[in-house]
Amino acid sequence: MGPASCLGRPTRMAAGEGRMTSHLRRFLSTFVLLCLMDHASGQRKGAPRDLKCVTSDLQAWDCSWRAPPGAGRDALYDVCIKNRPRTCYQLGKTNTKIPALAPGHYEITISPLQDFGSSISRFILSERNVSLIPDPPEILRLSANFSTSTLHLEWSDKGSAFPRIANVLWEIKVLRTENMELVKLETLHSTLSGEDTVLRWSWASDLPLECAPHSVGLRRYIDDTHFSGRKEWSDWSPLQTVSGSADIQNKAFPQDKVVPVGSDITFCFVTREEVSSAQISNTKYPLIHLDGENVAIEVHNISVSISSGTNVVFMTNKDVYGTVIFAGYPPDIPQKLNCETYDLKEIICTWDPGRPTALLGPRSTSYTLFESFSGESVEFKRVVAPINETYQLFFQVLPNQEIYNFTLNALNPLGQSESTIFINVTEKVCPHTPTSIRVKDINSTAVALSWHLPGSFAKIKLLCQVEINKANSVRELRNVTVKGVDNSNYLIAVDKLSPYTVYAFQIRCSSGTFWKWSKWSSEKQYLTTEAVPSKGPDTWREWRSDGKNLIIYWKPLPMNEANGKILFYNVSCSSEEKTQSLSEIPDPQHKAEIQLDKHDYIISVVAKNSVGSSPPSRIASMEIPNDDLRVEQTIGTGNGVLLTWSYDPNMTCDYVIKWCNASQPQPCLMDWKKVRAHSTEALIQSDQFRPGVRYHFFLYGCRDRGYQLLRSVVGYVEELAPTVAPNFTVEDTSADSILVKWEDIPVEELRGFLRGYVFYFEKGERDTSKMRGLESGRSDVKVKNITDLSQKTLRIADLQGKTSYHLVLRAYTGGGLGPEKGMFVVTKENSVGLIIAILIPVAVAVLVGLVTSVLCYRKREWIKETFYPDIPNPENCKALQFQKAVCEGSSALKTLEMNPCTPNSVEVLETRTAVPKIEDTEITSPVAERAPDGSEAEPENPVAVSYCPPVIEEELANPGAEEAAGTAQVVYIDVQSMYQPQAQPEAEPDAEPGAGGGYKPQMHLPVTPAAGDAAAADGDAEGAAGYRPQASGNAWTLVSPDSPRSTDSGSDAVSFGSPCSINSRQFLIPPKDEDSPPSSGGGWSFTNFFQSKPND
Amino acid sequence: MFEDFQADSSISPLPLLEAKIHQTHSLARLLTKYAEQLFQEYVQLQGDPFGRPGFSPPRPPVAGLSAPGAGHAGLPLPERLRLDAGALAALPPLLDAVRRLQAELNPRTALLRRLEEAARRARALGAALEAVLAALGAEPREPRPEPAAAAAAAAAAAAAAAGAFPAKLLGLRVCGLYRDWVSRTEADLGQLVPGGPA
Repeated sequence: MGPASCLGRPTRMAAGEGRMTSHLRRFLSTFVLLCLMDHASGQRKGAPRDLKCVTSDLQAWDCSWRAPPGAGRDALYDVCIKNRPRTCYQLGKTNTKIPALAPGHYEITISPLQDFGSSISRFILSERNVSLIPDPPEILRLSANFSTSTLHLEWSDKGSAFPRIANVLWEIKVLRTENMELVKLETLHSTLSGEDTVLRWSWASDLPLECAPHSVGLRRYIDDTHFSGRKEWSDWSPLQTVSGSADIQNKAFPQDKVVPVGSDITFCFVTREEVSSAQISNTKYPLIHLDGENVAIEVHNISVSISSGTNVVFMTNKDVYGTVIFAGYPPDIPQKLNCETYDLKEIICTWDPGRPTALLGPRSTSYTLFESFSGESVEFKRVVAPINETYQLFFQVLPNQEIYNFTLNALNPLGQSESTIFINVTEKVCPHTPTSIRVKDINSTAVALSWHLPGSFAKIKLLCQVEINKANSVRELRNVTVKGVDNSNYLIAVDKLSPYTVYAFQIRCSSGTFWKWSKWSSEKQYLTTEAVPSKGPDTWREWRSDGKNLIIYWKPLPMNEANGKILFYNVSCSSEEKTQSLSEIPDPQHKAEIQLDKHDYIISVVAKNSVGSSPPSRIASMEIPNDDLRVEQTIGTGNGVLLTWSYDPNMTCDYVIKWCNASQPQPCLMDWKKVRAHSTEALIQSDQFRPGVRYHFFLYGCRDRGYQLLRSVVGYVEELAPTVAPNFTVEDTSADSILVKWEDIPVEELRGFLRGYVFYFEKGERDTSKMRGLESGRSDVKVKNITDLSQKTLRIADLQGKTSYHLVLRAYTGGGLGPEKGMFVVTKENSVGLIIAILIPVAVAVLVGLVTSVLCYRKREWIKETFYPDIPNPENCKALQFQKAVCEGSSALKTLEMNPCTPNSVEVLETRTAVPKIEDTEITSPVAERAPDGSEAEPENPVAVSYCPPVIEEELANPGAEEAAGTAQVVYIDVQSMYQPQAQPEAEPDAEPGAGGGYKPQMHLPVTPAAGDAAAADGDAEGAAGYRPQASGNAWTLVSPDSPRSTDSGSDAVSFGSPCSINSRQFLIPPKDEDSPPSSGGGWSFTNFFQSKPND
Repeated sequence: MFEDFQADSSISPLPLLEAKIHQTHSLARLLTKYAEQLFQEYVQLQGDPFGRPGFSPPRPPVAGLSAPGAGHAGLPLPERLRLDAGALAALPPLLDAVRRLQAELNPRTALLRRLEEAARRARALGAALEAVLAALGAEPREPRPEPAAAAAAAAAAAAAAAGAFPAKLLGLRVCGLYRDWVSRTEADLGQLVPGGPA
């Protein structure tokens, strides 16, 4: 590597290379110089070598070389530069400072003066071979703002030492803690201008400066574009340090700092104690250890603070320390900024602060109102106590200035904002509320109104609004423009008022160009003065019923016509012949009575107040008769009654409708109403009208000569239901009808036009029947609607006899149904029906009896043959004739001898007490009387055929028969035990209630040794069937009155049966009359004919 | 105890003194309730961890005023009352100082008014207690070497200079002292009230 190549390659140290360490640069420089010296020495040993030139200010080059080996410290060198005026220097050192050479290549020879074997070294030098290494910069001042944790650095660029304008790069480093941790490295740009310039740099530390020392150093790099040599960074300046507060202990930082919400912040705590924990609210944060026991915590995205700030607490083993951070917002742009004036003396600007900053007290937002034309400003002073702060500022109106350009600036520790408004103050006038309202009379219809309005309004006109209120009238607004004054007093005239009327005046004002109305002033009431009444009173007249006296009525004048307080009235009645007057009738009196003759009079009424009299109101006294008049009815609309009539051209004056309560005697007058002559209807309304009250309306038409009654109408403004029920009585009652009669309801209680009656009736007793839901269409309630009002009675027919009925009567009007009135009525008993009900069955029974009798009589032979055939006489039996003699003559032969025995009897027992126990006919044995006890019926002579069987008691087994007969028990005592009944199947017990045995008189009885062996008798019953009547057994109908069949048939006649029937009770029951023969068919009676049941 | 005082007293008739003691005791009881309310409202407004039950920073004396000691109950009643009166005299300037500090931190709250009322009530109770002591013939309390107001102002200024957190701690301490001393005064006066604890 030749020196030329070494020097010809200028070092171009860019800014990016500035970070190269100084040792490296030095090494490179040395390397270049060595190349240069190697070349200059010409490969000869003992010659000076390694010529190196640097410059710090481009004005002088500092060249040095390396002495040849063996050269002492005090060796002398002859240095010569060709092409220079002074070309050689004799130096006793190995470096020299030469003025900067002009561009070009110069040959430099360095030759040691003592010859110790060295030779001359020759070098070629140009600017390209020179390095530009500025001197290290010098820090003028390093200061710290602990409250903001900001370092402020000041240094001089020493531009005066540099001949040309050149760009400079500055590199600043910040080192923290004793360990010199690099926390900031920043590069700045500046320009050297040929003069010394102080440069400043500030840096805000994230860590409070109190908590750790911070050191700052800087270096520079001159980027001279005209310099062709190599440019290098200067060395670092000496470090300057801002140490933390060494004398502060146990303090947390930053203190009371205001930060934006959401920012990241580092808190530190300076202490010599061991910190155990650090927390904000509930959150503990990891400790970052600094020098010594100092610690720090990092908080990210801090949330908004409460009013007193967010507490940051550090805990040591001994105590609690902390600091407070206030996280809030910078001020919002003031919104709704508005500036106006009340009085053109002061401008009031109000605004809405917008989003709350969450910063209060000394950290709250301060506002400044700046007016750009005048350059004046006012500041908003913070009010500590009030919770609802009003944001407003007052700015004095400047003379001869109407246009204002306001800028409202909001400022707090976190920032500022502003809002502007441009106004013409004369157009932004919102006057104060007018005060001191005064009213003075001008005349009865006009007043002078004055008020006080503070302000300097001389330059503008005021638009004022007067509100005029009077009783029972809509409010009236009148606009008036007045010229502004400086004395604040204003006066206007208010006309078109009504005399003698109380008015309430209110005033509000604005500027003529209108911006805002002021508030309404307080109300000022004033009574205008009186004037002459404008009209005469409304007049009417009524004749007394005697036709001699006339009552004159008039209505008090309304306020708008009275025009003052009416003191009295004058009434005069004038005819063609005379005039009668009633003077000074005091005001409260509104009628007068005057006696008049039959002449026609014109009545005149005049009202008078303190100012004068009203025009007279006139009315004719004459009443034109109208024969064609009938009373009509009308119903009102609830608030009045509408009367209509046909147009009558004869009615030239007007119509008068008068009305009164219909219940009052005539003539009556409640009020009247006049309508125009050509009217055909009038709605009559009155506060006196009440619903449910009948009123009488009279329509009069006015002709020239007087009034004629045209219509007479009764009506209600509203119908109501009657308040009472009609009184009704029962006039007549029969078995099937009731005649009801009722009375009218008084008109006062009717409360409407009667439409009819509703009559309800139903069966019911007094205590049980309830006429509930009569209108709901109950089927058991009969309703009669009586719409014929002339009907006062009602016959209710088709009723049932001897039945209680509940009757209810109600009246109804157009207003509804009235209350009900009811009574209970019992119809009479129907005797004819009862008689008929008795007679018809009797007649039928008789008829049946007769027919039966006739039939029996006619068929008596058949009956005889059938039921009573002739019984053959055993005596005529030839078979027995041979024994006749024996029977008659010898008592020894006793085969057919009838031994006297205990009489047998058949007894019918019934448990029902209603029916007397029927004792059957006692059949007496021709031999002996039977003992009542069966055991006693044992024959005395065992040889004789016993005719006294043991008593056999049977219960009727047929349930049907039992039911029909109640609990009847029939006890049959066999005539003779030997007479066994004909065999009957077991399955037919019901058909054989008496099958246990019966009288069988003609049975041939076998001779048995023991009559009591019933079993033997049963066993022989079939074969021992004895005598049977001469009739087929099938022809027999075993029917007894107790049998179901008998019951069902209901005919006792058919149960008579044969007198020899073993089942016939009829023939077994003896007649009551013991004298009557048993065959008379006892047991049948007429009464039985009517019995529906056999056992009844 | 009341009898002891009465024996020593030749100033007030008994009914008047009794009424005065009753009145002062009632005032102390009322202020005890108010002081507790003030304390709770104060810690609520200071934010965490002031309102937390476990938060109990050291309680150094404030302007020479410390909390009633553990041996307070063992002292003779006149001595206790004198200590009470002294504390009540020292409290109003401290409460005023706290109010001024809180005006910077909680300017829009009712706490400021309550602190002002508390200072006024402490003065009233202190004056009433002094009157009772005088009526009982007790020796007046020793004059404080340093005016209470100046000491309080100095404490407040130091707290304010140290930052908001020390100011909050000072307020906490003062409100706690106010509560403790008013409560202590009520208890001590209760022993003078006939029928009260012996």
